[in-house]
Amino acid sequence: MRALRNALLLLGKDLRLIRRSPALVAVLVGYPVVVAVLVALALQGGERKPTVAFVNLDTTGRTVQVGEQRLSVDDYVARLEREVDLKRLGPDEARRALDDGQVTAVLTLPDGFVSDLQSGVRSPVISLVTSPRQPIEAEAIQRRLESTVYRLNQELAETYVGQVLRLVDLIDQGGSIALFGRTGDLVGLGRSDEILTELQRELGRIGRPDLVRKIEPLRAYIEGVGENLDLARPAANAIASPIKLSVSEGPEGREPLSAFGFAGALLVSLGLVGVLLAAAALSSEREDNALVRLARGLLSPGALVGEKTVFAALACLVVGAVLLVIVALTTTLAVGRWGLWVVALLLSGLGFGAFGVLVGALARETRTALLAGLMLALPLIFLGLVPGNDAAALVSGLTAFGPAFAAYQTLLVEPSVPGDLWVTFGHLALVALVFSGAAGWALHRRAHQ
Amino acid sequence: MLSARGLAKRYRRVVALEPTDLDLAPGESVALIGPNGAGKTTLLRMLAGVSRPSEGTLTVAAGTAARVGWVPQRPALYQRLTCRENLRLFAALEGVPDPEGRAERLLERADLVRFADRQAAHLSTGTMQRLNLAIALAGEPSVLLLDEPTATLSPEQVHRLWTWLTRLCQEDGLAMAFSTQSVDEAARHAGRVVVLSHGRAVFDGTMRELVREEGGDPDDRDAAERAFLRLVGEDG
Repeated sequence: MRALRNALLLLGKDLRLIRRSPALVAVLVGYPVVVAVLVALALQGGERKPTVAFVNLDTTGRTVQVGEQRLSVDDYVARLEREVDLKRLGPDEARRALDDGQVTAVLTLPDGFVSDLQSGVRSPVISLVTSPRQPIEAEAIQRRLESTVYRLNQELAETYVGQVLRLVDLIDQGGSIALFGRTGDLVGLGRSDEILTELQRELGRIGRPDLVRKIEPLRAYIEGVGENLDLARPAANAIASPIKLSVSEGPEGREPLSAFGFAGALLVSLGLVGVLLAAAALSSEREDNALVRLARGLLSPGALVGEKTVFAALACLVVGAVLLVIVALTTTLAVGRWGLWVVALLLSGLGFGAFGVLVGALARETRTALLAGLMLALPLIFLGLVPGNDAAALVSGLTAFGPAFAAYQTLLVEPSVPGDLWVTFGHLALVALVFSGAAGWALHRRAHQ
Repeated sequence: MLSARGLAKRYRRVVALEPTDLDLAPGESVALIGPNGAGKTTLLRMLAGVSRPSEGTLTVAAGTAARVGWVPQRPALYQRLTCRENLRLFAALEGVPDPEGRAERLLERADLVRFADRQAAHLSTGTMQRLNLAIALAGEPSVLLLDEPTATLSPEQVHRLWTWLTRLCQEDGLAMAFSTQSVDEAARHAGRVVVLSHGRAVFDGTMRELVREEGGDPDDRDAAERAFLRLVGEDG
């Protein structure tokens, strides 16, 4: 009871000292906001469409009829604009824009693009020139455009195969034909067989069995062709779409990359606030030489560690809440479930604080504690941000940074609360306990030397 | 009031203080005197409960270490709190019934009223040492332990501090043990001296006994200094 009362007295002292330092408060709130904005901007950079110069050398304005579809260059451009931000330029302007770094690539539609597509004799070639100065973006653009061209090819192939199948039907059943600009009437295999059957019947009636037999191979041929055409239909369908991909959109209202960016920004901001504040708060007890009084039974090392950890957690809660309110008011990110956010911010704050207190317990003075805290926390925070790397996940999972990032992301991205959020909360609590224990042990050794 | 038996401190293989006995009676003033590294601070820190002895026992008559007021050489206080806030906080931490009232009384007794709302960081060395001492009194101790309390003070500040300390001990009946490197200070303000050398208590008695034991004239003002130097092996 006395330990709790004394811990609360020290907590009150720490909060009073924070309130007494407007510069520190400004840094505590302003710094995370600036870091959050910068990190969020950096992480959301990948979400913007890359700018690509578009040079159209096919100025005929012609269109191509593919089945029932009529395609023009504009239709093709509209498709490309879903993937990249197209800037229509002349060839020379495009080259200069690429040199100046205003665009990441130049996409050129050749002269005769539509007529080559119309003739079907040769495939039109679209050229893409990328900037060697922006290799990562260039590679992304290449992949996006390859995917677009593939999808368009696929649609065209399906249309062409549809045409072929209609032709097969025409050969089989007869009718009017309009293909590649040509028109005409076809009798069809079925009707041909009927004509020949009728002819054989007439020849038999007038006593010409020799002619009836002569026609027989022709009928057998028609039957064979008909059977083969029946097999051609499914084969043509298979060629049109060897593998199909079903793509559907998830529920609206969430922006995954923005959420990733903001979760990262929260981690960087709160991680640094929690670690540095706790490290400084504990080491300043030593710098003020107050530890020698507290160590005389006024407050056990464990209680002192607990007090500093809670102090850091409260600071993380306040700073995190400020950031969340700003985000909720100024962005479309869905920030809700405030109760869970309070738990997540407090638990992660405890984890960061315990880490900072350990650093503060090991360092001899405040400046060393701050420097060591920064040097240790930064790489661990960024390891926590590395996606899909087992080693990074393992290392950051040994500290509060990994599970804190997972909790923030879950609360920002998942529309419902998954069960593993509670596991993540447990992970955070465990990490906070382990680091607090280590800090208490280190402080105990130092205090009683 | 305070009794140490066989109190010793070792840091791994280094012996900072060999087993030492020390008794402190109510109202008594004892000086721990010795050169640097003799073990004075080590002994005081263990008596104050700041450092754990490697061996030996310590008994405080009142039963708890909280009844011992500790004045470390370097002021132990919050630099960015005011004098009043420091006193209130430490009185509350010590668990005294009325921390605010106790703080006000200490401000008056330590002549700190005019500095009450000044942050400790902005006090002069002497005033800060008075605050350091007042904080040690916040828990209403019966024993006061001071580690070289005048080491950083000017002669005038030393005089003021001892005048105040002497009055305080007389008024409250405090027992006091202080460490010093000054034989003169020990002779003036302690009824008994314990001489420490190389982590060992080599003498425990009055200053006159020390002089006599070393063959000097107890009425000779310099004899005590010579006797001390001979005892600690630094007489040339």
